[in-house]
Amino acid sequence: MNDNVHGLLGAYAVDAVTDAERAAFDAHLPGCEDCAAELAGLRDVAAALADAEAVAPPAALRARVLEEVSRTAQLPPDDAEVAPADDLAAAREARHARSGHRWPRFVLAAASVAVLAGVGAFAGVVLTERNAELAMEQDVMMVASAPDAHSMDLDLGTSHLVVSDRMASVVAMGEDCPKPHDGMEYQLWVVMEDGSKHAGPTFMPESDGSFMTMLDDQSMDGVTGFVVTEEPMGGSDEPTGDMVAVVEL
Amino acid sequence: MGDEDAAGAAAARPAPDRLAGLLVAAGRGDADAFEAVYDATAASVHGLALRIVRDPEMAQDVTQEVMVEVWRQAARYRPDLGSPRTWILTIAHRRAVDRVRAEQAHSDRLQRHARPEIDVHDQDALVDTMFRQWQATRVRAGLAGLTPLQREALELTYYKGYTNAQLAQALDIPLGTAKARIRDAIIRLRDMWEVTT
Repeated sequence: MNDNVHGLLGAYAVDAVTDAERAAFDAHLPGCEDCAAELAGLRDVAAALADAEAVAPPAALRARVLEEVSRTAQLPPDDAEVAPADDLAAAREARHARSGHRWPRFVLAAASVAVLAGVGAFAGVVLTERNAELAMEQDVMMVASAPDAHSMDLDLGTSHLVVSDRMASVVAMGEDCPKPHDGMEYQLWVVMEDGSKHAGPTFMPESDGSFMTMLDDQSMDGVTGFVVTEEPMGGSDEPTGDMVAVVEL
Repeated sequence: MGDEDAAGAAAARPAPDRLAGLLVAAGRGDADAFEAVYDATAASVHGLALRIVRDPEMAQDVTQEVMVEVWRQAARYRPDLGSPRTWILTIAHRRAVDRVRAEQAHSDRLQRHARPEIDVHDQDALVDTMFRQWQATRVRAGLAGLTPLQREALELTYYKGYTNAQLAQALDIPLGTAKARIRDAIIRLRDMWEVTT
């Protein structure tokens, strides 16, 4: 089922998204003027709902806040280097030391700085000091924010596959992913027109069921879909386990 | 200053331009300006937190976290991101929803349930409570103008912290329908308010 990331706009405006969905939309937003413009209006509506709830807090709270503020350092204006605490949860999605991961070959430097600055300007940056997470997050953002990126539901908990032909990459991420059987891990496969399947990365969900993985340097020519199987630890050259999720392009 | 809040958010509310100026000044470390920002917005932040997390102490915790976060991030506010109120209440809503989901996850673990427990049977009571609480006639009128399905979608997501997938599951509707319903509800509110104000 095709499910463009634009479709998340309303849900995003009222925080009805998972951390993974939020990361995907945050990445999409800087490159999509339509979404950015409409989001501003939807957020105003949401804020009006909040305003209608106004209840004065106790005076003691004011004193506590001012006291805490007096010893709290402020963030500098946007430099896209520091992660607001709010976005650590999203960055947590990236906490996956996957065996066998090949780091993307495309150069991130200038382009990703521009993308990240845009994201940071909008909603706070999805970054941490932890470099591995940062690298994965950047890669995923580059894919998810590609002009031709599109997102499809993946039947592994609440998960998505984001495919970009231009970036020659596919990202799988989600939450509530069930654990594979003991001694097994998941593996992503690329299905070709002739029915052959090319091996992709293996991945394991975190204890909270979240996961994120990525296959780069993968031309989409002749690709008809993707499947996920359970394979013995370390992955296989040919799929041996049952297909647990299937996505057709 | 706390008394101004008690008298109602509207009475203490500076014009958006003035609030933007205060927020910018707060971002440069002006503590007096931050106090004014607090006085103008704390009641809305606290009321929203209370509405979502329900527990008074937790709502105060959330309010404190949000207001300190506003101080930390004030230098990053830019007018093209929206009005200062929207910016602050966006931070507040997200923080309250995160808290309610963390609590849900915690109770789920206690109950050894893999999936979130979703109770849609208290809808009527919820609607009654909401309507009693709502002070702003504009909001009341707007919500009354939604279809029952749209209203339900907003209640479960905006006020109870459901994700779009949880909404789809709770209402037994396709995911795409759930996403579209949330968006339609907000757009309909926006359109009604644009007509009436």
